[in-house]
Amino acid sequence: MTEIISIRKPLNPNADSDVESSDEEMLEASLAPKNNNQSIVTPGELITEDPIWMRGHGTYYLNEKTYSSVAGTISKVNKLLSVVPLRGRYQPETGDHVVGRITEVGPKRWKVDIGARQDAALMLGSVNLPGGVLRRKSESDELQMRNFLKEGDLLNAEVQSIFQDGSASLHTRSLKYGKLRNGYFVKVPSSLIIRQKNHLHELPGSITIIIGVNGYIWISKTLYQHQKSLPSTTGNNALDSTVSSAAAKSNSYTPGQGSVSITRLEEESSWEIYSDKNEPISVATKDTIARYANCVKALAKCDIGITETRIIAAYEASMVYENAGLLLDEETMKSIGEDVLNRERMRG
Amino acid sequence: MFKITLSPAERSYLHESLSCLSPIRPDARLNKQFRPLEATCSFLPGSNGSARIRMADGAECLASVKAKVVSLQLNNANSAQHLKNLIEVDLDINGIRDDSNLSSTIASSLKGSLVKHIPLEKLRLTHRYAFKLFIDIVVLSHSSVYPLTLLSLATYMALKSTKLPLLTSTVNDRDIEEQPMFSDDWESSLALFGDSSLSPPLLFVVAVVKDNIFIDPSPEEESVSENGICLTYANGKIISPLQTISLSPKDNTGINSAQILKAHALVKEIGPLVVKSLDEIVSDDSIKTIF
Amino acid sequence: MELYSPEGLRVDGRRWNELRRFYCRINTHPIVADGSAYVEAGNTKIVCLLNGPHEPTRSQMNTQKGSLDIKLHVSPFSTTERRKVTRNDRRIQELSTILKNTFEQVVILKNYPRTIIEVNVRVLAQDGGLLAACCNAITLALVDAGIALYDYISAVSAGVFDNQILLDLNRLEEQDLSSVTIGVVGKTKKLSLVLSETRLPQDRLAKVFEVAVNGCHQLKDQMDAQVAKKGREKAITEELKTNWVQ
Repeated sequence: MTEIISIRKPLNPNADSDVESSDEEMLEASLAPKNNNQSIVTPGELITEDPIWMRGHGTYYLNEKTYSSVAGTISKVNKLLSVVPLRGRYQPETGDHVVGRITEVGPKRWKVDIGARQDAALMLGSVNLPGGVLRRKSESDELQMRNFLKEGDLLNAEVQSIFQDGSASLHTRSLKYGKLRNGYFVKVPSSLIIRQKNHLHELPGSITIIIGVNGYIWISKTLYQHQKSLPSTTGNNALDSTVSSAAAKSNSYTPGQGSVSITRLEEESSWEIYSDKNEPISVATKDTIARYANCVKALAKCDIGITETRIIAAYEASMVYENAGLLLDEETMKSIGEDVLNRERMRG
Repeated sequence: MFKITLSPAERSYLHESLSCLSPIRPDARLNKQFRPLEATCSFLPGSNGSARIRMADGAECLASVKAKVVSLQLNNANSAQHLKNLIEVDLDINGIRDDSNLSSTIASSLKGSLVKHIPLEKLRLTHRYAFKLFIDIVVLSHSSVYPLTLLSLATYMALKSTKLPLLTSTVNDRDIEEQPMFSDDWESSLALFGDSSLSPPLLFVVAVVKDNIFIDPSPEEESVSENGICLTYANGKIISPLQTISLSPKDNTGINSAQILKAHALVKEIGPLVVKSLDEIVSDDSIKTIF
Repeated sequence: MELYSPEGLRVDGRRWNELRRFYCRINTHPIVADGSAYVEAGNTKIVCLLNGPHEPTRSQMNTQKGSLDIKLHVSPFSTTERRKVTRNDRRIQELSTILKNTFEQVVILKNYPRTIIEVNVRVLAQDGGLLAACCNAITLALVDAGIALYDYISAVSAGVFDNQILLDLNRLEEQDLSSVTIGVVGKTKKLSLVLSETRLPQDRLAKVFEVAVNGCHQLKDQMDAQVAKKGREKAITEELKTNWVQ
């Protein structure tokens, strides 16, 4: 019966908070050393009258006093005082690996939704185009921008720089970036993503996951590099080999996002990287992708930070449910979340 | 907000997954499985009946039923037509204009099905007076292009929880005109569907992809579907209206009878289970807090 | 019916300076909104959903500061007698404008150039104090969304009955008494919103404001307590987020 429909009453917020508070105490006890100075400030609250601090995000300065402008926790890094809000949109930082969706094709640039306050810009000059990495962008490129990337297309990219107004400029000038294919898109709050060295991971079951720092996640079939001989589109072989080996080196851990073989420049920069065609994907792989997607949602539901290890742990814990569709149930999600945390505690 | 744009690669991935022999929905649901719902009833003390329902993706709908005493125009011979006027449905979908095509289509679908399945005679108080039911539906947020299932579930619960005050004055005011009087005691009120053999109808939208059909399609499933069918279920039967609807801007490939029969069988199978789950929520009045 | 009995009780049994039951929650709609709040003041019930700051359409774009858009929706079932209010209703437009003007002062909009903050306020039930309840709900939704504010705005109404000041009027009182709604910045005595649509005796004015400011401060404390409670819950999950990662 629960396989067809499950309807529950909203949790009584008061009863709910009773339960939470006991959990809270328990957790607080276990986190005591770290949690001590984590007090919450709210808008309008005086933080300090000491003028020594530099004022960062989430604060404002009035009559020589520093106040909080958001509800959050105080962060002090060297002499910089800021308040980290409890919730809020994704704030891009240079170097972030993000997943985004094209919203607009404009003159010499694409606009990309990355879940931030403003759409990011992807300049025509910041992407690899067919016909060689090093070639100049021409007017004909400008005219056919929609043939490379169009509204709705998903891509993964790196934040190249931040404009004055806080919006991001992206680039895809590396083989691990570019258009996304062969998978499924999931969105979680960006606050759950921890900035790490690597945001692209291979998961058991031949699955590749890109955990965008902005909370946009791409789960796809892992593609193994296979040699394909495509007719060369550029002539200069000597240049090709040096550039491609350099590219291959810097991206040696890339499990071939897209259908790019990373040994030949011709292919890297051929039209194939802008193809809209998926590889053949087996039913079993699709099943696995759906299960991983539900695991990610379960972690998000439990407000647990999302990492590759935790996704794998959740996936393993989910295996007791043969029908992965049952993972949508809130109770099940909670139990998966607890499982994941328990495993971590046991490991210490 | 409810317009979702997918990349061609995503679309083909989804379409392929949903159209194969043993289809895989993107969230691994069975084809007859709903997404989890959260619902509560009777949260508006100022209404005769009310319900709030929220889907796991945050889509949310509130429904209220308010009864008002109206005098019947006695000179009008067509009394059946009259009784139909005792039901009014008003729709407010966030982000969509009241006078938009979508809004009025959905409102008329709902009203059409409700008129036939609400015990209208119960609304009749006296020879001269009757209750008029105002069913107001507010969609706070939605992601579907056609949020009819959500609306229908909320309306069902609101109607099921509707109570009408007990008439204490005489029923026969044929000769002497008398304002109807009601009992002040809410305990003595009568449930609209209390002892009725009728039950409010439920409208289900199913998405059609090739030979497969899916209940409660998610927005992304809708956007790759070739067709949509709206079916009405009440008292164990599939009833009219049954209509095809467009869930995606894609050119529709036409529908065949096999698909309709499949949808028919599917809704007939799940109908009783949905009714049972909804009724459990209606009868459990332990929580009155809305949010 | 006597609005204020000789024993000093109002129609709903409150004392003259007593607020109605105030209940508020933030983050009620985490999936569909960047910020959300639910407020009950007595039997007045308001839901507020906020989206943004996000990319505006060209016409909404302001390169200097963020735009703020507040829409008020009154549900037809919110009044005792069902009444359909259209979006173009003058009264609704007027209240939306007042709210917008108020919050443009308190949101630090210069932090959000080229973006828009869209606020949808939905009235589920009305029993007096509509503007004040909307104001409190918007404040909470803004805080929930992590949008920079100089301070809270808390609002309440107050009226005068036979020389007796009454705080936080319900619908019955509001209909018969002359009253004023004020919004206060944080714990100060600065008024960011004043709306009086009836005549108030000038000699009572100072006292009315004093009582109302006091009421606002009480509400601010209650709202702040809810925010801080949510904040502590969140801070613990933040720990969870990072604690075991290394």
